[in-house]
Amino acid sequence: MALLEAIGIGKTYPGGVVANDGVNLVIEPGEVHAVVGENGAGKSTLMKILFGIEQPNAGRLLLDGREVHFANPREAIDAGIGMVFQHFSLVPTFSVYENVVLGSEPRNGIRLDRQRAIAEVQELSERFRLKVDPLPPVRALPVGQQQRVEILKALYRNARILILDEPTAVLAPQEVQELFVAIRSLVAQGKTVIFIAHKLPEVLEISNTITVMRQGKTVGQVKTSEVTEKSLAAMMVGREVSLRVERKQTDQSECVASVEGLRVVNARGTEVVAGLDLNVHAGEIVGLVGVEGNGQAETLEAIAGLRSIAEGTITIANENAASLSVLERRGLGLASIPEDRIAEGLATGSSVAENLVATRLNDRRYVRNGLLDLKAIKAHATKLIEQFSIRVGGPSYAVGTLSGGNMQKVVVARELCEQPKLLLVNQPTRGVDLGATQFIWRTITDARDKGAAVLLSSADLSELLALSDRLVVLYRGKIVAAFVNTPDLTPETLGTYMLGLSTQTADEMKAALK
Amino acid sequence: MMELFLTVFSAAFFVTVIRTTTPLLLATLGGLIADLGGALNVALEGMMLIGCLTAVIVSVYAPWYVAVAAGLGAGALLGLIMAFFAFRLKADIILVGFAINIFAAGGTVFALALATGGDKGTSINLPSKAIPAVDLSVLSNIPVVGPTLTAFLSGHSVLSWFAAFLVFAVWYFLYRTPWGLWLRGVGEYPAAPEAAGIPVNKIRTWSLVVSGALAGLGGAQLAMFNYVGFTREMTAGRGFIALGAVLLGARHPVGALLAALLFGAFEALAVVMPGLFNEIPAEIIRMIPFVVTIAALVLFSVRAQRALAMRGAK
Amino acid sequence: MSNIPAIDRASRWKTIRRETLRALAALAIALLVTFIVVLFTSKAPFEAFTQLLTAPVSRVRTVGLWIDDVVKLTITGLAFSLVFQARQFSMGVQGQVYIGALAATYVALSPLGATWAGIPLGITAAMLAGAVYGFLPGIAKAKLGANEIVSSLMLNYIAIELCNFLVRTNLPKPQAGVLTTNDFPDSAVFPALVANTRIDLGLIFALVAVVVVWFALYRTSWGLKLRLVGHNARFAEYSGIKATFIMVSAMTASGALGGLLGSMFVQGQTYGKLTVLFEGGLAFEGILVAIVARSRPLAVPVVALFYGYLRQGAQLMNIRTDVPAEVIGVVTAIIILLVSSSFSFGFIKKLFNRDPARVSAPVAAGGAAK
Repeated sequence: MALLEAIGIGKTYPGGVVANDGVNLVIEPGEVHAVVGENGAGKSTLMKILFGIEQPNAGRLLLDGREVHFANPREAIDAGIGMVFQHFSLVPTFSVYENVVLGSEPRNGIRLDRQRAIAEVQELSERFRLKVDPLPPVRALPVGQQQRVEILKALYRNARILILDEPTAVLAPQEVQELFVAIRSLVAQGKTVIFIAHKLPEVLEISNTITVMRQGKTVGQVKTSEVTEKSLAAMMVGREVSLRVERKQTDQSECVASVEGLRVVNARGTEVVAGLDLNVHAGEIVGLVGVEGNGQAETLEAIAGLRSIAEGTITIANENAASLSVLERRGLGLASIPEDRIAEGLATGSSVAENLVATRLNDRRYVRNGLLDLKAIKAHATKLIEQFSIRVGGPSYAVGTLSGGNMQKVVVARELCEQPKLLLVNQPTRGVDLGATQFIWRTITDARDKGAAVLLSSADLSELLALSDRLVVLYRGKIVAAFVNTPDLTPETLGTYMLGLSTQTADEMKAALK
Repeated sequence: MMELFLTVFSAAFFVTVIRTTTPLLLATLGGLIADLGGALNVALEGMMLIGCLTAVIVSVYAPWYVAVAAGLGAGALLGLIMAFFAFRLKADIILVGFAINIFAAGGTVFALALATGGDKGTSINLPSKAIPAVDLSVLSNIPVVGPTLTAFLSGHSVLSWFAAFLVFAVWYFLYRTPWGLWLRGVGEYPAAPEAAGIPVNKIRTWSLVVSGALAGLGGAQLAMFNYVGFTREMTAGRGFIALGAVLLGARHPVGALLAALLFGAFEALAVVMPGLFNEIPAEIIRMIPFVVTIAALVLFSVRAQRALAMRGAK
Repeated sequence: MSNIPAIDRASRWKTIRRETLRALAALAIALLVTFIVVLFTSKAPFEAFTQLLTAPVSRVRTVGLWIDDVVKLTITGLAFSLVFQARQFSMGVQGQVYIGALAATYVALSPLGATWAGIPLGITAAMLAGAVYGFLPGIAKAKLGANEIVSSLMLNYIAIELCNFLVRTNLPKPQAGVLTTNDFPDSAVFPALVANTRIDLGLIFALVAVVVVWFALYRTSWGLKLRLVGHNARFAEYSGIKATFIMVSAMTASGALGGLLGSMFVQGQTYGKLTVLFEGGLAFEGILVAIVARSRPLAVPVVALFYGYLRQGAQLMNIRTDVPAEVIGVVTAIIILLVSSSFSFGFIKKLFNRDPARVSAPVAAGGAAK
């Protein structure tokens, strides 16, 4: 008998987005069951339903053959389901054991039984080969260990079924292997693991069974032993896709931006960028590779002028930009697409027109003598709304009333309506569906083809490999390797450098660090 | 100068400091609970004020402890109202807090006028009761230190002793019980307790209710011990000073005690000093706690930024 | 594309209508609660309530009192709107009023006060002093991270005590022991616009202030930057706007308005001198005006008109019946609570009709939940 079964699950969000439509899922006890599909295929929604965060509009859930309804995560937890999200739910200043027991603490009268909590966490971590010290605060741990704390949290609550939502997205390839060791040990001890992923090699390596989803529907369920990467990819997208993006030949002789000896020290006093030398040329995309938190984001922020630098020079379009303000740098032709476009790239309470002009408030076309030229601002907005086909009632509508995709377009329209000389992009497609991903990739390569120098940071290696002309690997704020992008460059090669396991010599890097 | 010195180290001054500190300490502990639960309770002032009036009016008709309980209950009720509007109706909690302050400022005078038959200034013509002081003169039987002990420990309000106990109780609750863990988790990163199945809004609501109860208790002490009777706007900014004291006390109950003692000492000086230094005007002395709060705020913020820098938040 | 401006305008009117209906509903509920309170506490509740609702227009003089309140509420409402639009919770208008009043008093009682310069110089001094007083919590927040709510509140108390102190000891008084200064020379007092009422030059200043604040917020790049900072400070920084500068400047500008209000108090027809505690809590009621007006400068005087009417009605009810004026605090609190929350007709329906079948009944006009 199946352990967990979802039959005909349907979920339509208020707003009319159909996330799940007749989804079926059969989980056998003791297996690793991968659920694969492109971004936006409905995997996350399905998992949220299994975990009681969302309630389905249609369909039934069977656990041990009995129908169940989870009104909230608590009920799912009590039924033995545990979930590890991509964004961890850990209290940063709490110690590992406090985070693990939070909500189900061992008690001694009214007192939290600290000793027992620590002992139980230790016992669990040994039994399931999830090595982690129970005492330090979680904010002091690397991402891989924080993930173990999350898994321990679920195990501590006696989860029989463990849902891992894209657990490898935040890990370097070698950390992925450690995670797989733990997953195997979980299964060996009778647990069942549901593994959400879109990276096929990993899925093929770890899972027994695979359910493929596409556009909110289940396409099918297959035994891992019976499929290949290629046949799986075809199931996922419904057609053959090439992950490489068409790019024009460009003239890459002019150096648009260069950074020399860049050092950035963060608020806690640690050096996050430690002496970085980098040139970006017109017509090329340079990919910043690295496990998150190795200085990529800080480098981009320093170049944009959002973060003060400790040392070094930044040159944009032959001007020393280190002491220039954000606006002055933008005046030199800098554009920037931030990671969290809605939190950082928009003021949702302001109108579309105001958002579109926000970065141009020193431009005489829109502001003269401190006064706004409302006509010009409106005309500018009307033009961009048409040009980028943003679906909105008019320029004075608040951005907050737009759909997510159209909000994205507002940001892209503002940054790219005038051809930038230097474009900074951070995590362009995180949490974005397939259609939008293609739109964003196209926009970035278009800017490159027209001669922009692009500096791209992404946690998704396949994205970096698809878009970049050159790749530099950052480890602890330093460049440890550099490559000219060729079809035979693999994520595994990059991985050893990302983890600092090896470093190229200056000579080896030279060719790729022009 | 000598005179000031002698005053400051006298038992009488110590008793005064404890008296002035107690209402502030109770409000500060209330502010701390709300703050750790993630809400800046700007309504402490109004909660205290309503606590004062409720206690005074109830004490006319009931024993002192019932009156104290009524002051506490009034504060708790206001906390509940605040939680309802802030969490259920999604109003900005700062605005809700000020609505409660405005309600308290007007409502207490309105109710006072009704209770006294038209007097909008004080409850002087109401036979309100006082909280009894704890008499420890038995301690003077102890040889050598006995009289000194009596002088220092005798004559404090029952609530002062209770407040001292509360410092310990709040600390124990926050750092030794599961619910303290929940509260701090909710305040720091609500997504984590939520994912662990902890009812976040319920915790927040409770934190405001307790916060209000403590402020109301502080009000009861103010109007039934420090002063006996109600005067309009008698809290005179103590609720706001308590907000500063929470920050100054590094968001810890013992820190809250120390901060409250500091402000209490300044207030006690203001009570004692006019007799000593006639040339220092009363207004300037009354300004001291407010100036100190700003200084504390600035100093603490600098310290907090540095601490944050050490911890490495961006 | 040609019909877009029309849709634009239509949507704006829809928003205005919805907000107006919400505010009126909040007012109605607040009055209802007040009526119930009065019903239980007054010997002549209907008389009291009639006074509350009609007294301000009963005589020319009372109309003057009403308009005087409206003028002052408008200024404090504008001051709060400015900081609220930048999403700062500076509560310092009260302190700025006292500091501004002190500055105006020193000018008015100086030899200059007796010349033509008494009014312009008094106002300028008051606005400067208020601006400095608004700047302080701003800069403390920007440079040191000090919470502006607490620091501005403390500055309020300090300003009040300072005013008490200076009136008692430093400023010239008609006789020892009174807590009020000498009357200002006529040249330093705003001339009345309508004889024998309190309607004076302040009315003109208030109207000018409304236009100036509106213009600054919606027609200058400073105003756009301020609003962008208010909506999303991180985005503003990313766009190259110096968010901290904007925050501090918003608090400073708001302080100047607070200072102006101080001068309007002491240099106006109402006083024509400085008295301790002259402001009577009016400055804080700007919070209500700003919230109900959704921090829109053009809506501020309209809200002030309504609220000033109630405020004056309460004062007159206090004089003419047995119900204390302070009952207005209840009205204020309820209105703030309702308007700042997600309360709507739909919500009330939901609150009282737990039966799901009945919730789907047609919702009253304008009752769309926010």
